[in-house]
Amino acid sequence: MPPDPRPGRRRPAGPRPRFLYPGLWLPFLVLLAVLGGAWTWAARTWPYLLPPLPKVWSSLAGHPGYYASNAGTTLGEAALGLAIGGGVAFALAVLTSEVAVARRAVMPVAVVLNVTPLVAIAPALVVAFGFGAVPKVVITALICFFPILINTATGLRSVPAAIVAVYRTVRASRLEILWHLRVPSALPFIFASLRIATPLTVIGAVVAEMAAAGGSGGLGTVIATASSGNQLPVVYAAMAVLAVMGVLLLLIVTLVERRALRWHESTRE
Amino acid sequence: MAGPAIELTGVRKAYGGTVALGGADLAVAPGSFVSLIGPSGCGKSTLLRLAAGLEAPDAGSVLVLGGTPQAAAAAKRIGFVPQSPSLLPWLSVLRNVTLPRKVNRGAARRGAAGRGEPPDPAGLLRRAGLGDVLDRLPAQLSGGMQQRVAIVRALALAPDVLLMDEPFSALDEMTRESLQDQLLGLWALQRATALFVTHSVAEAVRLSDRVLVMAAHPGRIVAHVDIDLPRPRDAEMLASGPFHDYEDRVRGLLRDAWSAPDAA
Repeated sequence: MPPDPRPGRRRPAGPRPRFLYPGLWLPFLVLLAVLGGAWTWAARTWPYLLPPLPKVWSSLAGHPGYYASNAGTTLGEAALGLAIGGGVAFALAVLTSEVAVARRAVMPVAVVLNVTPLVAIAPALVVAFGFGAVPKVVITALICFFPILINTATGLRSVPAAIVAVYRTVRASRLEILWHLRVPSALPFIFASLRIATPLTVIGAVVAEMAAAGGSGGLGTVIATASSGNQLPVVYAAMAVLAVMGVLLLLIVTLVERRALRWHESTRE
Repeated sequence: MAGPAIELTGVRKAYGGTVALGGADLAVAPGSFVSLIGPSGCGKSTLLRLAAGLEAPDAGSVLVLGGTPQAAAAAKRIGFVPQSPSLLPWLSVLRNVTLPRKVNRGAARRGAAGRGEPPDPAGLLRRAGLGDVLDRLPAQLSGGMQQRVAIVRALALAPDVLLMDEPFSALDEMTRESLQDQLLGLWALQRATALFVTHSVAEAVRLSDRVLVMAAHPGRIVAHVDIDLPRPRDAEMLASGPFHDYEDRVRGLLRDAWSAPDAA
Protein backbone atom coordinates (compact mmCIF):
# COMPACT_ATOMS: atom_id res chain seq x y z
CA MET A 1 0.00 0.00 0.00
CA PRO A 2 1.77 3.13 -1.14
CA PRO A 3 1.21 6.23 0.95
CA ASP A 4 -1.54 8.31 -0.57
CA PRO A 5 -0.55 11.33 -2.57
CA ARG A 6 -1.39 14.41 -0.66
CA PRO A 7 -3.25 17.08 -2.54
CA GLY A 8 -2.89 20.49 -1.02
CA ARG A 9 0.67 19.86 0.08
CA ARG A 10 2.05 21.34 -3.06
CA ARG A 11 2.84 24.96 -2.45
CA PRO A 12 1.97 27.58 -5.00
CA ALA A 13 4.86 28.42 -7.24
CA GLY A 14 7.14 31.23 -6.19
CA PRO A 15 8.19 32.52 -2.81
CA ARG A 16 5.07 34.58 -2.10
CA PRO A 17 3.42 33.69 1.24
CA ARG A 18 0.15 31.78 1.37
CA PHE A 19 -2.10 34.64 2.49
CA LEU A 20 -1.51 36.42 -0.78
CA TYR A 21 -3.58 33.72 -2.48
CA PRO A 22 -7.17 34.24 -1.30
CA GLY A 23 -8.17 31.31 -3.50
CA LEU A 24 -6.51 29.03 -0.99
CA TRP A 25 -8.19 30.15 2.23
CA LEU A 26 -11.27 32.08 1.18
CA PRO A 27 -13.49 29.05 0.36
CA PHE A 28 -12.73 27.59 3.79
CA LEU A 29 -13.58 30.87 5.56
CA VAL A 30 -16.84 31.20 3.63
CA LEU A 31 -17.85 27.66 4.55
CA LEU A 32 -16.93 28.36 8.17
CA ALA A 33 -19.14 31.44 8.21
CA VAL A 34 -22.05 29.52 6.67
CA LEU A 35 -21.71 26.70 9.18
CA GLY A 36 -21.48 29.19 12.05
CA GLY A 37 -24.69 30.87 10.87
CA ALA A 38 -26.49 27.54 10.56
CA TRP A 39 -25.26 26.56 14.02
CA THR A 40 -26.48 29.78 15.63
CA TRP A 41 -29.89 29.42 13.99
CA ALA A 42 -30.22 25.78 15.05
CA ALA A 43 -29.11 26.54 18.61
CA ARG A 44 -31.77 29.24 18.87
CA THR A 45 -34.50 27.01 17.40
CA TRP A 46 -33.76 23.81 19.37
CA PRO A 47 -31.90 24.67 22.59
CA TYR A 48 -31.22 21.00 23.38
CA LEU A 49 -29.65 20.23 20.03
CA LEU A 50 -26.67 22.59 20.10
CA PRO A 51 -25.34 25.14 22.57
CA PRO A 52 -24.96 28.72 21.36
CA LEU A 53 -21.42 29.32 20.14
CA PRO A 54 -20.78 32.30 22.47
CA LYS A 55 -21.51 30.04 25.43
CA VAL A 56 -19.06 27.45 24.19
CA TRP A 57 -16.48 30.16 23.80
CA SER A 58 -17.10 31.69 27.22
CA SER A 59 -16.76 28.25 28.80
CA LEU A 60 -13.40 27.88 27.10
CA ALA A 61 -12.25 31.42 27.86
CA GLY A 62 -13.54 31.28 31.44
CA HIS A 63 -11.75 28.08 32.41
CA PRO A 64 -8.64 27.77 30.26
CA GLY A 65 -6.72 25.98 32.99
CA TYR A 66 -9.45 23.37 33.39
CA TYR A 67 -9.46 22.50 29.69
CA ALA A 68 -5.70 22.69 29.39
CA SER A 69 -5.00 20.31 32.25
CA ASN A 70 -7.59 17.80 31.02
CA ALA A 71 -6.24 18.10 27.49
CA GLY A 72 -2.78 17.48 28.92
CA THR A 73 -4.00 14.29 30.58
CA THR A 74 -5.59 13.02 27.36
CA LEU A 75 -2.57 14.01 25.29
CA GLY A 76 -0.21 12.28 27.71
CA GLU A 77 -2.22 9.06 27.51
CA ALA A 78 -2.36 9.29 23.72
CA ALA A 79 1.37 9.95 23.40
CA LEU A 80 2.38 7.19 25.80
CA GLY A 81 0.00 4.76 24.10
CA LEU A 82 1.35 5.70 20.68
CA ALA A 83 4.93 5.23 21.86
CA ILE A 84 4.20 1.81 23.38
CA GLY A 85 1.82 0.57 20.67
CA GLY A 86 3.99 1.92 17.89
CA GLY A 87 7.17 0.54 19.44
CA VAL A 88 5.73 -2.94 19.88
CA ALA A 89 4.21 -2.81 16.38
CA PHE A 90 7.57 -1.83 14.85
CA ALA A 91 9.43 -4.56 16.71
CA LEU A 92 6.86 -7.17 15.68
CA ALA A 93 6.92 -5.92 12.09
CA VAL A 94 10.68 -6.44 11.98
CA LEU A 95 10.30 -9.89 13.54
CA THR A 96 7.51 -10.95 11.18
CA SER A 97 9.31 -9.70 8.09
CA GLU A 98 12.49 -11.56 9.03
CA VAL A 99 10.99 -14.77 10.37
CA ALA A 100 8.18 -16.42 8.41
CA VAL A 101 7.11 -18.53 11.39
CA ALA A 102 6.63 -15.41 13.48
CA ARG A 103 4.50 -13.89 10.71
CA ARG A 104 2.20 -16.88 10.68
CA ALA A 105 1.89 -16.74 14.46
CA VAL A 106 1.47 -13.00 14.98
CA MET A 107 -0.69 -11.87 12.08
CA PRO A 108 -3.88 -13.84 12.94
CA VAL A 109 -3.73 -12.55 16.52
CA ALA A 110 -3.21 -9.01 15.26
CA VAL A 111 -6.20 -9.31 12.93
CA VAL A 112 -8.44 -10.61 15.72
CA LEU A 113 -7.32 -7.71 17.92
CA ASN A 114 -8.07 -5.29 15.13
CA VAL A 115 -11.62 -6.49 14.45
CA THR A 116 -12.58 -6.52 18.14
CA PRO A 117 -14.30 -3.19 18.91
CA LEU A 118 -12.15 -1.35 21.41
CA VAL A 119 -15.23 0.25 22.90
CA ALA A 120 -16.11 -3.28 24.01
CA ILE A 121 -12.68 -3.94 25.49
CA ALA A 122 -12.49 -0.66 27.38
CA PRO A 123 -14.86 -1.52 30.29
CA ALA A 124 -13.09 -4.85 30.82
CA LEU A 125 -9.73 -3.07 31.00
CA VAL A 126 -11.14 -0.59 33.51
CA VAL A 127 -12.25 -3.53 35.66
CA ALA A 128 -8.80 -5.07 35.29
CA PHE A 129 -6.61 -1.99 35.77
CA GLY A 130 -8.82 0.46 37.67
CA PHE A 131 -9.53 4.12 37.00
CA GLY A 132 -5.93 5.28 36.63
CA ALA A 133 -3.92 5.91 33.47
CA VAL A 134 -3.14 2.25 32.73
CA PRO A 135 -6.37 1.19 30.94
CA LYS A 136 -6.28 4.39 28.88
CA VAL A 137 -2.72 3.82 27.75
CA VAL A 138 -3.48 0.17 26.97
CA ILE A 139 -6.51 1.10 24.82
CA THR A 140 -4.52 3.79 23.03
CA ALA A 141 -1.65 1.40 22.39
CA LEU A 142 -4.05 -1.24 21.07
CA ILE A 143 -5.82 1.14 18.72
CA CYS A 144 -2.65 2.36 16.99
CA PHE A 145 -0.94 -1.04 17.04
CA PHE A 146 -2.56 -2.63 14.00
CA PRO A 147 -2.16 0.09 11.33
CA ILE A 148 1.48 0.61 12.31
CA LEU A 149 2.19 -3.13 12.32
CA ILE A 150 0.62 -3.80 8.91
CA ASN A 151 2.12 -0.79 7.19
CA THR A 152 5.59 -1.26 8.65
CA ALA A 153 5.62 -4.96 7.75
CA THR A 154 4.56 -4.12 4.19
CA GLY A 155 7.19 -1.38 3.99
CA LEU A 156 9.98 -3.61 5.26
CA ARG A 157 9.20 -6.08 2.49
CA SER A 158 8.92 -3.41 -0.20
CA VAL A 159 12.61 -3.41 -1.15
CA PRO A 160 12.92 -4.59 -4.77
CA ALA A 161 14.47 -8.07 -5.04
CA ALA A 162 17.22 -6.80 -7.37
CA ILE A 163 18.52 -4.35 -4.73
CA VAL A 164 18.62 -7.12 -2.14
CA ALA A 165 20.45 -9.29 -4.70
CA VAL A 166 23.16 -6.63 -5.12
CA TYR A 167 23.74 -6.49 -1.38
CA ARG A 168 23.63 -10.27 -1.05
CA THR A 169 26.47 -10.53 -3.58
CA VAL A 170 28.64 -8.56 -1.16
CA ARG A 171 27.35 -10.73 1.70
CA ALA A 172 25.78 -7.90 3.66
CA SER A 173 24.44 -9.34 6.91
CA ARG A 174 20.71 -9.54 7.59
CA LEU A 175 21.09 -6.76 10.10
CA GLU A 176 22.85 -4.59 7.52
CA ILE A 177 20.15 -5.29 4.94
CA LEU A 178 17.51 -4.49 7.55
CA TRP A 179 19.15 -1.25 8.60
CA HIS A 180 20.41 0.07 5.26
CA LEU A 181 17.69 -1.23 2.92
CA ARG A 182 14.51 -2.31 4.68
CA VAL A 183 13.99 0.32 7.37
CA PRO A 184 14.51 3.33 5.07
CA SER A 185 12.22 1.70 2.49
CA ALA A 186 9.58 1.30 5.18
CA LEU A 187 9.67 4.96 6.28
CA PRO A 188 7.03 6.23 3.81
CA PHE A 189 4.76 3.38 4.92
CA ILE A 190 5.43 4.11 8.58
CA PHE A 191 4.55 7.77 8.15
CA ALA A 192 1.39 6.85 6.26
CA SER A 193 0.40 4.66 9.18
CA LEU A 194 1.21 7.42 11.68
CA ARG A 195 -1.20 9.70 9.84
CA ILE A 196 -3.88 7.09 10.51
CA ALA A 197 -2.74 6.12 13.99
CA THR A 198 -2.18 9.55 15.55
CA PRO A 199 -5.82 10.66 15.40
CA LEU A 200 -6.81 7.15 16.47
CA THR A 201 -4.78 7.45 19.67
CA VAL A 202 -6.80 10.50 20.71
CA ILE A 203 -9.99 8.54 20.00
CA GLY A 204 -8.67 5.62 22.03
CA ALA A 205 -7.76 7.79 24.99
CA VAL A 206 -11.17 9.53 24.97
CA VAL A 207 -13.08 6.24 24.70
CA ALA A 208 -11.16 4.84 27.66
CA GLU A 209 -11.72 8.00 29.70
CA MET A 210 -15.45 7.86 29.02
CA ALA A 211 -15.53 4.22 30.13
CA ALA A 212 -13.83 5.25 33.36
CA ALA A 213 -15.46 8.63 33.83
CA GLY A 214 -14.84 10.29 37.16
CA GLY A 215 -11.39 8.83 37.36
CA SER A 216 -8.24 10.71 36.75
CA GLY A 217 -9.62 13.35 34.41
CA GLY A 218 -9.03 13.88 30.72
CA LEU A 219 -11.31 15.39 28.08
CA GLY A 220 -13.30 12.14 27.75
CA THR A 221 -14.18 12.36 31.43
CA VAL A 222 -15.07 16.03 30.98
CA ILE A 223 -17.47 15.13 28.16
CA ALA A 224 -19.02 12.21 30.05
CA THR A 225 -19.69 14.16 33.24
CA ALA A 226 -20.78 17.34 31.47
CA SER A 227 -23.27 15.53 29.24
CA SER A 228 -24.79 13.66 32.16
CA GLY A 229 -25.11 17.03 33.90
CA ASN A 230 -26.69 18.52 30.77
CA GLN A 231 -23.92 21.12 30.30
CA LEU A 232 -23.84 21.22 26.50
CA PRO A 233 -21.42 24.18 26.22
CA VAL A 234 -18.81 22.28 28.22
CA VAL A 235 -19.30 19.15 26.06
CA TYR A 236 -18.76 21.14 22.89
CA ALA A 237 -15.87 23.10 24.30
CA ALA A 238 -14.11 19.81 25.13
CA MET A 239 -14.87 18.52 21.64
CA ALA A 240 -13.37 21.66 20.13
CA VAL A 241 -10.21 21.19 22.17
CA LEU A 242 -10.01 17.56 20.98
CA ALA A 243 -10.38 18.65 17.38
CA VAL A 244 -7.63 21.23 17.69
CA MET A 245 -5.42 18.65 19.38
CA GLY A 246 -5.98 16.19 16.54
CA VAL A 247 -5.11 18.77 13.92
CA LEU A 248 -1.94 19.78 15.77
CA LEU A 249 -0.81 16.17 16.12
CA LEU A 250 -1.37 15.55 12.42
CA LEU A 251 0.55 18.73 11.65
CA ILE A 252 3.51 17.50 13.69
CA VAL A 253 3.50 14.15 11.87
CA THR A 254 3.38 15.96 8.53
CA LEU A 255 6.27 18.25 9.42
CA VAL A 256 8.48 15.39 10.59
CA GLU A 257 7.54 13.38 7.51
CA ARG A 258 8.52 16.21 5.20
CA ARG A 259 11.94 16.43 6.79
CA ALA A 260 12.53 12.69 6.84
CA LEU A 261 11.26 11.90 3.37
CA ARG A 262 12.84 14.56 1.19
CA TRP A 263 14.05 11.84 -1.17
CA HIS A 264 10.61 10.38 -1.41
CA GLU A 265 9.04 13.73 -2.23
CA SER A 266 11.57 14.26 -4.96
CA THR A 267 10.51 11.05 -6.67
CA ARG A 268 6.99 12.41 -6.97
CA GLU A 269 7.93 15.61 -8.73
CA MET B 1 45.30 -17.63 -11.15
CA ALA B 2 45.68 -21.09 -12.51
CA GLY B 3 42.20 -22.39 -13.41
CA PRO B 4 39.21 -20.64 -14.91
CA ALA B 5 37.71 -17.73 -12.96
CA ILE B 6 34.20 -19.12 -13.33
CA GLU B 7 33.59 -22.81 -13.84
CA LEU B 8 30.27 -24.61 -14.07
CA THR B 9 30.22 -28.39 -14.42
CA GLY B 10 27.04 -30.32 -15.19
CA VAL B 11 24.88 -27.67 -13.55
CA ARG B 12 21.16 -28.34 -13.39
CA LYS B 13 18.55 -26.04 -11.93
CA ALA B 14 14.79 -26.41 -11.95
CA TYR B 15 12.04 -24.20 -10.56
CA GLY B 16 9.12 -26.41 -9.71
CA GLY B 17 8.65 -28.52 -12.82
CA THR B 18 10.41 -26.10 -15.15
CA VAL B 19 13.98 -27.01 -15.96
CA ALA B 20 15.82 -23.68 -16.23
CA LEU B 21 19.22 -25.25 -16.81
CA GLY B 22 19.68 -28.84 -17.89
CA GLY B 23 23.34 -29.62 -17.55
CA ALA B 24 25.44 -26.56 -18.29
CA ASP B 25 29.24 -26.66 -18.61
CA LEU B 26 31.14 -23.43 -18.76
CA ALA B 27 34.63 -22.18 -18.11
CA VAL B 28 35.54 -18.51 -18.22
CA ALA B 29 39.23 -17.67 -18.39
CA PRO B 30 40.50 -15.02 -15.97
CA GLY B 31 40.37 -11.53 -17.39
CA SER B 32 38.17 -12.42 -20.34
CA PHE B 33 34.82 -10.98 -21.29
CA VAL B 34 32.18 -13.61 -22.03
CA SER B 35 28.59 -12.97 -23.11
CA LEU B 36 25.61 -15.28 -22.78
CA ILE B 37 23.01 -14.85 -25.46
CA GLY B 38 19.85 -16.81 -26.14
CA PRO B 39 16.07 -16.71 -26.29
CA SER B 40 13.98 -16.01 -23.19
CA GLY B 41 13.75 -19.01 -20.94
CA CYS B 42 17.15 -20.40 -21.93
CA GLY B 43 18.38 -19.99 -18.37
CA LYS B 44 20.99 -17.31 -18.98
CA SER B 45 19.88 -15.23 -16.02
CA THR B 46 19.69 -18.36 -13.89
CA LEU B 47 23.26 -19.18 -14.86
CA LEU B 48 24.37 -15.71 -13.81
CA ARG B 49 22.51 -15.94 -10.50
CA LEU B 50 24.18 -19.29 -9.83
CA ALA B 51 27.59 -17.75 -10.43
CA ALA B 52 26.66 -14.88 -8.11
CA GLY B 53 25.76 -17.33 -5.36
CA LEU B 54 22.18 -16.04 -5.33
CA GLU B 55 20.91 -19.53 -6.18
CA ALA B 56 22.23 -23.01 -5.49
CA PRO B 57 22.36 -25.66 -8.25
CA ASP B 58 20.23 -28.81 -7.98
CA ALA B 59 23.12 -30.81 -9.39
CA GLY B 60 26.65 -30.13 -10.61
CA SER B 61 29.16 -27.68 -9.25
CA VAL B 62 29.71 -23.94 -9.51
CA LEU B 63 33.18 -22.61 -8.82
CA VAL B 64 34.09 -18.93 -8.72
CA LEU B 65 37.77 -18.04 -8.32
CA GLY B 66 38.45 -21.62 -7.32
CA GLY B 67 35.95 -21.67 -4.44
CA THR B 68 32.24 -21.44 -3.84
CA PRO B 69 30.40 -18.36 -5.11
CA GLN B 70 29.45 -17.68 -1.49
CA ALA B 71 33.10 -17.50 -0.48
CA ALA B 72 33.87 -15.15 -3.38
CA ALA B 73 30.91 -12.98 -2.39
CA ALA B 74 31.95 -12.95 1.25
CA ALA B 75 35.37 -11.63 0.16
CA LYS B 76 33.61 -9.03 -2.03
CA ARG B 77 35.30 -10.35 -5.13
CA ILE B 78 32.03 -10.39 -7.12
CA GLY B 79 30.51 -7.30 -8.69
CA PHE B 80 26.86 -7.75 -9.66
CA VAL B 81 24.93 -5.47 -12.01
CA PRO B 82 21.23 -6.33 -12.21
CA GLN B 83 18.84 -5.57 -15.06
CA SER B 84 17.39 -2.50 -13.36
CA PRO B 85 19.77 0.05 -11.80
CA SER B 86 18.49 -0.91 -8.32
CA LEU B 87 19.81 2.18 -6.58
CA LEU B 88 18.59 3.21 -3.14
CA PRO B 89 16.35 6.23 -3.76
CA TRP B 90 17.25 8.02 -0.51
CA LEU B 91 21.02 7.89 -1.01
CA SER B 92 23.05 10.19 -3.20
CA VAL B 93 24.87 8.78 -6.22
CA LEU B 94 28.14 8.71 -4.30
CA ARG B 95 26.67 7.04 -1.24
CA ASN B 96 24.95 4.46 -3.43
CA VAL B 97 28.38 3.55 -4.72
CA THR B 98 30.10 3.52 -1.33
CA LEU B 99 27.48 1.62 0.69
CA PRO B 100 28.35 -1.87 -0.67
CA ARG B 101 31.95 -1.20 0.34
CA LYS B 102 30.87 -0.33 3.87
CA VAL B 103 28.69 -3.37 4.58
CA ASN B 104 30.26 -6.72 5.44
CA ARG B 105 33.37 -5.27 7.05
CA GLY B 106 34.91 -8.66 7.57
CA ALA B 107 35.36 -9.03 3.79
CA ALA B 108 38.89 -7.62 3.79
CA ARG B 109 40.06 -10.40 6.10
CA ARG B 110 38.53 -13.04 3.86
CA GLY B 111 39.91 -11.45 0.72
CA ALA B 112 42.79 -12.84 -1.25
CA ALA B 113 46.17 -11.57 -0.17
CA GLY B 114 47.81 -8.97 -2.34
CA ARG B 115 44.65 -7.25 -3.54
CA GLY B 116 45.43 -3.62 -4.04
CA GLU B 117 43.62 -0.63 -2.60
CA PRO B 118 40.05 -0.39 -3.89
CA PRO B 119 39.58 2.42 -6.40
CA ASP B 120 38.38 5.84 -5.31
CA PRO B 121 34.58 5.85 -5.83
CA ALA B 122 34.35 9.53 -6.66
CA GLY B 123 37.18 9.13 -9.15
CA LEU B 124 35.44 6.22 -10.82
CA LEU B 125 32.18 8.15 -11.00
CA ARG B 126 34.01 11.06 -12.59
CA ARG B 127 35.57 8.74 -15.10
CA ALA B 128 32.07 7.48 -15.92
CA GLY B 129 30.99 11.04 -16.64
CA LEU B 130 29.06 11.34 -13.41
CA GLY B 131 31.31 13.86 -11.67
CA ASP B 132 28.64 16.55 -11.69
CA VAL B 133 25.96 14.43 -10.10
CA LEU B 134 27.77 12.90 -7.12
CA ASP B 135 25.35 14.46 -4.66
CA ARG B 136 22.17 13.99 -6.69
CA LEU B 137 19.50 11.48 -5.84
CA PRO B 138 18.92 8.63 -8.32
CA ALA B 139 15.46 9.95 -9.24
CA GLN B 140 17.12 13.08 -10.59
CA LEU B 141 19.14 11.10 -13.14
CA SER B 142 18.21 9.64 -16.52
CA GLY B 143 17.88 5.89 -16.90
CA GLY B 144 21.24 5.66 -18.65
CA MET B 145 22.98 7.60 -15.90
CA GLN B 146 21.38 5.42 -13.24
CA GLN B 147 22.64 2.30 -14.98
CA ARG B 148 26.13 3.83 -15.15
CA VAL B 149 25.97 4.38 -11.38
CA ALA B 150 25.01 0.72 -10.97
CA ILE B 151 28.04 -0.34 -13.01
CA VAL B 152 30.35 1.94 -11.02
CA ARG B 153 28.84 0.56 -7.81
CA ALA B 154 30.01 -2.90 -8.88
CA LEU B 155 33.43 -1.74 -10.15
CA ALA B 156 34.10 0.27 -6.99
CA LEU B 157 34.53 -3.05 -5.21
CA ALA B 158 37.45 -3.80 -7.58
CA PRO B 159 35.85 -7.19 -8.15
CA ASP B 160 37.69 -10.09 -9.71
CA VAL B 161 34.47 -11.23 -11.31
CA LEU B 162 31.92 -8.90 -12.85
CA LEU B 163 28.45 -10.38 -13.41
CA MET B 164 25.98 -8.35 -15.48
CA ASP B 165 22.37 -9.30 -16.16
CA GLU B 166 21.14 -7.45 -19.28
CA PRO B 167 22.12 -4.10 -17.76
CA PHE B 168 21.32 -2.14 -20.91
CA SER B 169 18.12 -3.86 -21.98
CA ALA B 170 15.85 -1.04 -20.83
CA LEU B 171 17.78 1.69 -22.63
CA ASP B 172 17.37 3.18 -26.07
CA GLU B 173 19.81 2.30 -28.84
CA MET B 174 21.93 5.48 -28.64
CA THR B 175 22.30 5.37 -24.87
CA ARG B 176 23.07 1.69 -25.15
CA GLU B 177 26.00 2.15 -27.49
CA SER B 178 27.44 4.97 -25.44
CA LEU B 179 27.16 2.86 -22.30
CA GLN B 180 28.86 -0.06 -24.01
CA ASP B 181 31.70 2.33 -24.78
CA GLN B 182 31.91 3.43 -21.18
CA LEU B 183 31.65 -0.09 -19.85
CA LEU B 184 34.53 -1.21 -22.04
CA GLY B 185 36.57 1.78 -20.94
CA LEU B 186 35.97 1.10 -17.25
CA TRP B 187 36.44 -2.63 -17.67
CA ALA B 188 39.80 -2.10 -19.37
CA LEU B 189 41.05 -0.36 -16.19
CA GLN B 190 40.56 -3.39 -13.99
CA ARG B 191 40.20 -6.29 -16.38
CA ALA B 192 37.88 -8.24 -14.13
CA THR B 193 36.57 -11.49 -15.54
CA ALA B 194 33.21 -10.48 -17.00
CA LEU B 195 30.11 -12.56 -17.59
CA PHE B 196 27.48 -10.57 -19.44
CA VAL B 197 23.91 -11.65 -20.19
CA THR B 198 22.30 -9.97 -23.19
CA HIS B 199 19.53 -10.18 -25.78
CA SER B 200 21.43 -8.18 -28.35
CA VAL B 201 23.72 -9.83 -30.90
CA ALA B 202 25.60 -6.61 -31.69
CA GLU B 203 26.15 -5.94 -28.01
CA ALA B 204 27.47 -9.45 -27.38
CA VAL B 205 29.89 -9.31 -30.32
CA ARG B 206 31.12 -5.85 -29.49
CA LEU B 207 31.82 -6.45 -25.82
CA SER B 208 33.06 -10.02 -25.74
CA ASP B 209 36.10 -12.18 -26.22
CA ARG B 210 33.70 -15.11 -26.44
CA VAL B 211 29.96 -15.35 -27.06
CA LEU B 212 28.08 -18.35 -25.70
CA VAL B 213 24.85 -19.18 -27.49
CA MET B 214 22.13 -20.80 -25.41
CA ALA B 215 18.93 -22.67 -26.27
CA ALA B 216 15.79 -23.20 -24.21
CA HIS B 217 13.74 -26.18 -22.97
CA PRO B 218 15.84 -27.12 -21.19
CA GLY B 219 18.29 -24.25 -20.90
CA ARG B 220 21.70 -25.23 -22.23
CA ILE B 221 24.79 -23.84 -23.95
CA VAL B 222 24.78 -24.97 -27.57
CA ALA B 223 27.68 -23.15 -29.20
CA HIS B 224 30.43 -20.65 -28.67
CA VAL B 225 32.00 -18.06 -30.93
CA ASP B 226 35.39 -16.53 -30.15
CA ILE B 227 35.45 -12.90 -31.19
CA ASP B 228 38.93 -12.23 -32.49
CA LEU B 229 38.72 -8.47 -32.96
CA PRO B 230 41.24 -6.00 -31.57
CA ARG B 231 40.32 -3.67 -28.72
CA PRO B 232 39.35 -0.92 -28.20
CA ARG B 233 36.35 -1.58 -30.38
CA ASP B 234 35.16 1.80 -31.52
CA ALA B 235 32.30 2.99 -33.71
CA GLU B 236 34.38 2.44 -36.84
CA MET B 237 34.76 -1.22 -36.08
CA LEU B 238 31.01 -1.58 -35.51
CA ALA B 239 30.56 -0.81 -39.20
CA SER B 240 33.38 -3.06 -40.41
CA GLY B 241 33.05 -6.28 -42.39
CA PRO B 242 34.60 -8.66 -39.84
CA PHE B 243 32.28 -7.31 -37.15
CA HIS B 244 29.26 -8.03 -39.34
CA ASP B 245 30.56 -11.49 -40.12
CA TYR B 246 30.66 -12.28 -36.41
CA GLU B 247 27.19 -10.87 -35.96
CA ASP B 248 25.90 -13.07 -38.78
CA ARG B 249 27.51 -16.15 -37.30
CA VAL B 250 26.02 -15.57 -33.86
CA ARG B 251 22.65 -14.79 -35.41
CA GLY B 252 22.78 -18.00 -37.42
CA LEU B 253 23.62 -20.04 -34.32
CA LEU B 254 20.75 -18.39 -32.46
CA ARG B 255 18.39 -19.32 -35.30
CA ASP B 256 19.55 -22.93 -35.09
CA ALA B 257 19.06 -22.84 -31.34
CA TRP B 258 15.52 -21.61 -31.86
CA SER B 259 14.56 -24.23 -34.39
CA ALA B 260 16.45 -27.10 -32.73
CA PRO B 261 14.12 -29.82 -31.51
CA ASP B 262 13.80 -29.68 -27.76
CA ALA B 263 16.42 -31.88 -26.17
CA ALA B 264 15.09 -33.45 -22.94
